[in-house]
Amino acid sequence: MDEHEQAKTSPDGRLLCPRCGGPMNFHAQKLDRSVDPATDTDMDGVLAEFHTCPACKYVHERLSRS
Amino acid sequence: MSAPARQSEKPLFIPVILGTPRQGRYSEHVARFVAGELAGFAGVETQLVDVRDLPMPVTGAGEDVKDPSFSELCMRADAFVIVAPEYNHGYPGLLKHVLDTNLKEYIHKAVGLCGVSAGGFGGTRVIQNMLPVMRELGLVTIFWDGNFSSVQKLFGPDGALLDPSYPRRIERFLRELIWMARVLRYGRENVPVES
Repeated sequence: MDEHEQAKTSPDGRLLCPRCGGPMNFHAQKLDRSVDPATDTDMDGVLAEFHTCPACKYVHERLSRS
Repeated sequence: MSAPARQSEKPLFIPVILGTPRQGRYSEHVARFVAGELAGFAGVETQLVDVRDLPMPVTGAGEDVKDPSFSELCMRADAFVIVAPEYNHGYPGLLKHVLDTNLKEYIHKAVGLCGVSAGGFGGTRVIQNMLPVMRELGLVTIFWDGNFSSVQKLFGPDGALLDPSYPRRIERFLRELIWMARVLRYGRENVPVES
């Protein structure tokens, strides 16, 4: 996960692709249990979310906000 | 999805990963054969990726040793074919090392597995051992496999396929993979996880 990469958000709440600026689709959450479980004790790991850009195929990963 | 709609789709990109660096590998013949068959499908682009060619340090692991060009290729991919020889019932260590360098690039993408063996089981055991790895990487496996038994007898010294039954077998495998790739691409691009 590139923790330095930032994506802006559109007015309707979708992330905007850091590469081309198009709206991305938030299609997956995945639990990473290899990290310190204390970071999210409910989930025993860290929840990452994945957003795909339909225009350029770029995938953005970030820590889940939910 | 109607045929006219499909004609306007972007081509699917489905690379074939040759999963062993060993000298004298018969799996290379398999990978070239599968890539050739895949290239014959309309609306599909492919590329042979040889793990031997990837600059892959073994002093680190995972995304710490990610190769930018391989990462970009995986990002562009809609699905993967992995050709893996069976070594003592397992998969080659370098293949696992290479696969572990990415994660977000795989999420909700299809994968078809081709097992290669010198014996008569067509790499079924390496395929079985790879399934949980594929799942953890976020890939979606299909229910067809490519099984290449007695591989040393399947190809001539020049790599020519000697068994005429294989194109038909692999066609079914690839059709399933292409269907899954198309469906998952639609899902990645259009179906939100929270709706």
